[in-house]
Amino acid sequence: MRIFAELVLRAAVVLTGVALATFALLWHAPGDPALAIAEARHGTVVSKEVLDLIRAEAGFDTGFWTAFWAWLSPLLIGDFGQSSVTGRHVWPDLVTAMSYTFPLALISLAIGLVVSVPLALVATRKPGSWMDRGAVALASIGVAIPAFWLGLLLILLFAVHLGWLPAMGAQTKAHAVLPALTLALGIAASLTRILRSGILEARTQTFLPAFYRRGVAAGDVARDHIAPHAAIPVVTVLGLELAFLLEGLVVVEVIFARPGLGSFLVNAIYARDFPKVQAVVIIAAVIFVTVNLLIDVIYRSLDPRMDRRDA
Amino acid sequence: MLRVENISVRCGVATTLQDVSFSLGSGRALAVVGESGAGKSTLIGAILGLVPCASGQISWHGAPVCQCHPALVMQEPRAAFNPRLSLRRSVMEPVVAQKMQPDLNRLDQLCQGLELDTGLLDRHPSEVSIGQAQRVGILRALIAAPPLVLFDEPLSALDAVTQKHTARLIAQMQMQEGFAALIVTHDLGYAAAFADDIAVLRAGQVAEYGAAHAFVAAPQTAYGRKLRDAAFALGALEHVA
Amino acid sequence: MRSVGVLVVLFLLLMLFGPIMAPHDPTAINIPNRLRPPGDAWMLGTDALGRDILSRLLHGARWSLGLAFVVSVLSLIIGTCIGLIAAQGGRLADWIAMRTTDTFLAFPELIAAVVIAGVLGAGTGTLIFALTVTGWMRYARVARGIGLSVGTRGYVVQARLAGLSPLAIARWHYLPSLLPSLTVVWTGMFARAILGISTLGFLGFGVQPPLPEWGTMLLDARIHMRSTPLQMIWPGLAVVVSVLAINLAGDALRDALAEQKETA
Repeated sequence: MRIFAELVLRAAVVLTGVALATFALLWHAPGDPALAIAEARHGTVVSKEVLDLIRAEAGFDTGFWTAFWAWLSPLLIGDFGQSSVTGRHVWPDLVTAMSYTFPLALISLAIGLVVSVPLALVATRKPGSWMDRGAVALASIGVAIPAFWLGLLLILLFAVHLGWLPAMGAQTKAHAVLPALTLALGIAASLTRILRSGILEARTQTFLPAFYRRGVAAGDVARDHIAPHAAIPVVTVLGLELAFLLEGLVVVEVIFARPGLGSFLVNAIYARDFPKVQAVVIIAAVIFVTVNLLIDVIYRSLDPRMDRRDA
Repeated sequence: MLRVENISVRCGVATTLQDVSFSLGSGRALAVVGESGAGKSTLIGAILGLVPCASGQISWHGAPVCQCHPALVMQEPRAAFNPRLSLRRSVMEPVVAQKMQPDLNRLDQLCQGLELDTGLLDRHPSEVSIGQAQRVGILRALIAAPPLVLFDEPLSALDAVTQKHTARLIAQMQMQEGFAALIVTHDLGYAAAFADDIAVLRAGQVAEYGAAHAFVAAPQTAYGRKLRDAAFALGALEHVA
Repeated sequence: MRSVGVLVVLFLLLMLFGPIMAPHDPTAINIPNRLRPPGDAWMLGTDALGRDILSRLLHGARWSLGLAFVVSVLSLIIGTCIGLIAAQGGRLADWIAMRTTDTFLAFPELIAAVVIAGVLGAGTGTLIFALTVTGWMRYARVARGIGLSVGTRGYVVQARLAGLSPLAIARWHYLPSLLPSLTVVWTGMFARAILGISTLGFLGFGVQPPLPEWGTMLLDARIHMRSTPLQMIWPGLAVVVSVLAINLAGDALRDALAEQKETA
């Protein structure tokens, strides 16, 4: 229980750090942010009065800490502020963006698992066999392919060349197929690698021959002893997989012109709409930290030794 | 003079040392005797400043102990040397660290006293025997001429013949160099033969403290008597008594 | 170690001599010959501005691989320093260093790099900064983990007693133990940096045109996907082959080290 409390405290410290780092980055961004906003709203010629108004409105004329607190305190009660370019509230747009991103992420993750788990099981049945080598080769190549290139290749083949699937936009379910495939292949590749080595390592545990000798059924051994051991490295790297997924989402949404969180972020950066950038960063950090916190808790329940060790 | 005054050390909720006091004059030898778990290693850690004390004071001539650059001879001879470096490098480390002038005469002289071939120093720790490694360990401890040397079970990793040899060499070196020696050991026979004074440590407390010959002749406590009688039974005290 | 050595030499050669082997000027615009298919004069064809794609690929090695090398080595140095401070500096230093590491790890690195590079304005310097700032954490964790166990060893205690400075202890007693594992981490991070640089280039936040970075080349090629699809294949292939080679070398290195540990 004490450890759980400490983990939550750590997560809070980390989130505060992320918020501070983001705000500091945007605060020190080159160029006059007020000018950028003014140009976005009123065109290229703006008077000094307008600029001053914008500065006061956005809190640019106060000190760093005042401005930071002016941003953070509404954030704590869920107010993400308004777009500095359009003046619209960020939150509703954010929700719309998330409604495109989350289903895609979940589907990709599911496909990734469905592909990688059987592949890893088949591969590890006979380590070193041609099946195993084939799986390893595929996975190694899959890990090395950048998501943006894979996406472009899929568009080239299925949309341009064969004309089976739409490439751009998110109007129908069919529009999600290529983005989901792009993400899922990358996830499947890295998961297969990790699962494979996890299973192989669990098999070499010294206590296993004793079970077989005592006549415990192979299936039971696999379920009760190999599976938990193989699960530990998988759970550990789930956090990495999540990072991989989020990173892939940004790229894939840009390539396939899907209006999700990734495009939202990239467009906000292009437009220098910093409240939007901050909002996406915070949302992503909260998701990431929460999932990692859960992973940590699961990890500790799988491997009780972790409780005593200082992680 | 090393002064240890009423020190207590806590490790979590457990108290590993409680109200321990003794002193050790320059050039003298004190043996701290006790069973495993009595707090002997913690005591060494506390004196060297590696383990924080909850209360009490430790000083060398009124100043913090670390200022006199005390040396330590460890129980595991090989672990005391970086396996990647030659023994010569490790031996000269205190000299380099304290920005002293490297004195090759002194090195030769100490090697001779410890019956070490200087060529041995160009080997790596894994290429010498345990006994040799321990003598090189003593060499490293003495090279910078520290006024205080701590020995943490210096003999227990060695075989019986090497133990006698090493024990004799340590005694000779102390005569020659005149450092104050604090020896932690579970071997009462060795303690009685080598040390001027003996402190018996039991469950983190000093059970008995006094001159070595007096202790062997007439222990003051029941526990001390038990220790002495056990050592007698093993034949470890014959040459002392 | 040998496989990594061979790989580093190979990539260095490619970075040094790739541009020399290039048959054309990678930035020479030649509008009459734009979007040529692969042929005699242009082995891999030309791009939308008539520039020779092969020459751009060879010059691109200097940007894509060279920058990734710089980024991964810079983060290696920073991460190792922070990890060693955590391992050697006592409880408070450890806590601060590790919470800092957690904070930087609390965000997908590549997205953080996109935000940093995008907000600070595209450019090579910003790119290196963005990827280094988001790339040192794994080194720090590994360095701290091994460092903590090294710190309890007899010879480190002896060195500290002898009065050796923390810097000298780090140099002589910590670093040699860290190096094998850090090299394995480095191969992985080098590969990641290549992916990161090309991704940022592709998103328009990285190396700027007309410089021939592989990701930037893909961004150009994408527009002409329908007419000259082959143009899109080469830069991507270059990224995949580099990353694959580095990852394989890293795997071999890791296995070799594991074997060494078992026999030792």
